[in-house]
Amino acid sequence: MLRKDLVNRSPVCKILNPDSITQVKFGAVLSRAGVGKTQFLVQIALTRLLNNEKIIHISLNDPMEKINLRYMDSFNNLVDSIGYVDPQKAKRLWDDINQLKVGITYNESSFDPKKINDYLNSFKKTNNGLPSILVIDGLNFDNDLSSLLDQLGNISETFKISIWFSMRTHREESLCPDGYPKQFENVKDRFDKALLLNPKDNKIEATVLKNGVDKDRKYLLDPATMMPE
Amino acid sequence: MERDLKSVRNIGISAHIDSGKTTLTERILFYTDRIHKINEVKGKDGTGAIMDSMELEKERGITIASAATYCRWRNHDINIIDTPGHVDFTVEVERSLRVLDGVILILCSVSGVQSQSITVDQQMKRYEVPCMAFINKCDRSGANPFKVIEQLKNKLGHNAVPMQIPIGLEQDHEGVIDLVKMKAYFFEGENGEKVIEKDIPENLLKQAMEVREEMLDKVSEFSDELTDAILEEKEISVELLTQSIRKSTIARKLTPVFMGSAYKNKAVQPGMDAVIDYLPSPIDIDNEAIDLDNNEATVILKSEFDEPTVALAFKLDDGQYGQLTYVRVYQGCITKGVAVINTRTGKKIRPGRLIRMHSSEMEEVEEIPAGHIGAMFGVDCVSGDSFTSPEINYTMLSMHIMEPVISLSLKPIDNKSEIAMSKALNRFTKEDPTFKTYVDRETNETIIQGMGELHLDVYVERMKREYNAQVEIGKPRVAYRETITRKADFNYTHKKQTGGAGQFGRIAGFLEPCEDDFEFNNKITGGKIPTQYIPSCEKGFRACLEKGPKLEFPVTGIKVTIHDGAFHSVDSSEMAFISAARGAFREAYDKAKPVIKEPIMKVVIETPNEFQGACMGLINQRRGIIEGSQEEGVMSVIEATVPLSDMFGFSTVLRSGTQGKAQFSMEFSSYKKVPQQIAEEIFKKKEEEKKKNEK
Repeated sequence: MLRKDLVNRSPVCKILNPDSITQVKFGAVLSRAGVGKTQFLVQIALTRLLNNEKIIHISLNDPMEKINLRYMDSFNNLVDSIGYVDPQKAKRLWDDINQLKVGITYNESSFDPKKINDYLNSFKKTNNGLPSILVIDGLNFDNDLSSLLDQLGNISETFKISIWFSMRTHREESLCPDGYPKQFENVKDRFDKALLLNPKDNKIEATVLKNGVDKDRKYLLDPATMMPE
Repeated sequence: MERDLKSVRNIGISAHIDSGKTTLTERILFYTDRIHKINEVKGKDGTGAIMDSMELEKERGITIASAATYCRWRNHDINIIDTPGHVDFTVEVERSLRVLDGVILILCSVSGVQSQSITVDQQMKRYEVPCMAFINKCDRSGANPFKVIEQLKNKLGHNAVPMQIPIGLEQDHEGVIDLVKMKAYFFEGENGEKVIEKDIPENLLKQAMEVREEMLDKVSEFSDELTDAILEEKEISVELLTQSIRKSTIARKLTPVFMGSAYKNKAVQPGMDAVIDYLPSPIDIDNEAIDLDNNEATVILKSEFDEPTVALAFKLDDGQYGQLTYVRVYQGCITKGVAVINTRTGKKIRPGRLIRMHSSEMEEVEEIPAGHIGAMFGVDCVSGDSFTSPEINYTMLSMHIMEPVISLSLKPIDNKSEIAMSKALNRFTKEDPTFKTYVDRETNETIIQGMGELHLDVYVERMKREYNAQVEIGKPRVAYRETITRKADFNYTHKKQTGGAGQFGRIAGFLEPCEDDFEFNNKITGGKIPTQYIPSCEKGFRACLEKGPKLEFPVTGIKVTIHDGAFHSVDSSEMAFISAARGAFREAYDKAKPVIKEPIMKVVIETPNEFQGACMGLINQRRGIIEGSQEEGVMSVIEATVPLSDMFGFSTVLRSGTQGKAQFSMEFSSYKKVPQQIAEEIFKKKEEEKKKNEK
C-alpha cells in the first residue's frame, strides 16, 4: 500500500507514465549544471524500486556515498510528502528497496559498456532477475557518443533493459529550431523519452521533449524535493 | 646505536613472491659486511638465505615471518624488515609498514607489477609510506624495466621516474647508468663487490641524455629551485638534483626507480645509496600517538632521546630464550632495566635484555633509542602493544588489522597433540592478530580463522613441525540461527506422578519475535506461580534457546511473556517449572513459524578496474547483494553483502577470476532469514547428519 502511495506521489508519475519508463530503449533528462538532472533520474529509478524491480545507477561524477544519499533523500522526500507514515514501516520499505539498487561509479575515461555487459551477463547465468533500468549519469553529450550509444543500445536489446541518461546542456547555447537543446538534437532519434528541466523563478520547469503525445507539456517542480506543485 | 637520526633509515622490502627480495636482502647484508657468505634462497646449498629463518620458509622458498635486521652503509644505520611476499600474509606486511619510514618496492623486470605489488602498494598508501622501486632480475630473459615503469604508472598510479638505465639486458646485463651523476657503473669481483665507475658508453649516451631530460622534467615539477636552474640553463648540481628527488619522494609525489639484478650481483650498491639519499630518516616522518589521558587527543611524537619513551611492539617471535618482542621506538629510549608501562595492560616491565637482530643472530645492546628498531627479551605482551614511560599514557594508533576471512576446524589425533596444539595456538594468536582461534561450543571443535587458505595451511604445518601437533582438518560450519516470525500462545501443564513426590507446574503465555536475543517478561499476578519458581521458568525457556527443537541451531530473537499458571503445594518444584517451561516452548515454537537465519557478511573487494564486472558477477553468483562499486584510480572497490555459507572458497575463485590481482576482506554484518530453498537444503543435510550420527 505504502509503495503504491509513494509511486503516486512521485513527480515521475505526474510527468511521465511510470509504467512506460521501462518500455523504452533510451530516455534522457536534460538540464544545465546544477538544476536537478540527477535528482530526477533518481526519482525515475525510485519508482521502479518501489515496484520491486532492480536498478543499476552508474555515475561518472559522484562517489558511491553520494549516490546512496541521493536515493535516501529522494525516498524520504516522497515519504514526507504523504504526511504521517509509520517510521518503522518506512524504514522496512527502504531496507527492502535499497537491496535492489546497485550504484557503480566509473571514471569517465574508463567507462566501458563491456563491463556492464559482463555484469548483466552474470545475472543471466545465475537466473537472477535482471534490472529493469540502467541510469547513466555524467556522460558528456557534447562529444560524439555514437559508438558508445550503439553498444549501449545492444545492451538494452540483449538484456531488455531501459537506459536513462542525464544530458548536460549549456546556458549560453540557444535551442535548435525544433526546441531541442543541441546535445539532444544530435541523438534525438535514438531516444523515446526526454525531459528538459529549466529554472523558472524559484521553481523548476519540466518540459516534456519526447513522450508520445505529451510533447511540450510543462510542469512546475519544487527545486528542493523535485515534487510537483 | 646511531644517535644522529639523520643517519638512520628504517626500511622495508616488499614485493610479490619470487621477485627476489630475500636475495636482495642477502646481497645488502653481504655488501655491508653483516654476512660473509651469500646463500641462495630455497636452500640449494643446504643453508638457505639468512633472512628466512624459519624452517618452513627455507623449504618453500618463501618468506613467512618478517625477520628484522640491521646493517651500516655510508655511515648510516639501516634497519631492514624483510616482509612476506604472499598475499595471505599481508598482516605481516601491514605491521612492517606501520613501523617503517620507507619501502623498497621490488618488481620483477619480467613479470612486472603483480598482485602482491598491488596489495603492498595499497598498504603503503594507507600508511603513507614513501617508496622507491627496484626493478630486479634484469638479467632474465624477457627483462624490460621500461615496461615495468609504465606498469608502475598505469597499474599503481605512481609517478615513477627512472633514475638509472640498464647497461645491457638479459644475459648482457652488465650494470647501470646513473642519470643523476651521469656515470656508468659496473660490478666486478666474485660477488660484484667492486663497483667500477666509468664514463657512459657512447652507444648509450643518447638514451641516457633523453631519459635524464624526462627525469629532470618530472622532478622539477616539485622543486622550484630545480625549475629555476633549468630555466636559467645553469649547471644542475648532483646535490640539488638529489635533494629535489629526496623531497618529492618523501612527500610521495615521486617514486624513483632503480634497476639491476640481485642474483647476478649487479647494481645492488647504487640501490643502497638510493636508500640513504632518497628514503626518509625518522625525523623526516611525523608519527602520531593517542594521549589516553587527554580525551584521546592526537600527539605528534618527537624523535628525541630525552623525551618520555613511546614504543610499539610490532612482532613477536618464539626464540630459544623465550618470547622475543620486536619494537620500534618513536620517542625517548627503551633502556635495559628502566621501567616502561604496557599501555594496554597497565603493567610495568623492566626489559632485562635488549638486542638488535640480525635475522637469527643477536647483538646485545644497552638501549634502543628513538627512531630505531630492536627487540626485547622476556616481555609478556601481544603484537600491537604500546610501551611508554610511566609519566605518560600514550598508545600508538591502532594498526589496521583485517578481519579473518576463512576458518577451519581442527581435531587433534591424541592427547599429546591436543596439548601441543593448544600451546601452538596460544603462540600463534599472540604473534599474529589476523590469526584467531576459538572452541565452537556447539560442535566442541577448535576453529582457526585466518586471512586465506595458505595462511591457515602454514599455521597447521607449523603446528605439526614446531610443536609436533598432529591434527585432522575438518570443514568449517556456518553458524546458523533459528528464530520465530509470529506470536504464538502456550498453555502447558507439566504433570508427573511416578511414586513419591510428583511434579506439577502449569505455565501460560506467549512467544513473540523481538530484536534482542532473548527477553523474558513476567506478567504473573496473584501468585498463580509463586515468585520462587519464576527464575526456574526463565531458566527453562533459556535452556530451549541453546538448540532449536527442529534443526538444533541456537534460537535467537524471542520474547517470552508468561501471564498465567498454576502450582501444587507439594508437587511443584524448581525442576517441575523448568520442565513446564521447556514443554511450553516446544508447544508454541512450531506455531510461531520458525525460520533459519544465516550470517551475512559485508564483503569489500578491491580489484583492478578491468575485473570490476567479473568481480560483481562473482558476487551475483553467491546470493550476494552489491551495494555499490566505485573506481578509485586504477582500482575499483566493490561493496556487497553475501551469506557466509557462499563465501567458502571465494578467495580461490576470486584469485583465478582476476589473475590474482583482486583481494577482498569480509566482516560479519547481520543475521538474515535463509531463503526457503536453501532452508530445505539445510534441513536435508541436518537430517542426513542425524542419521549418520545415530548409526
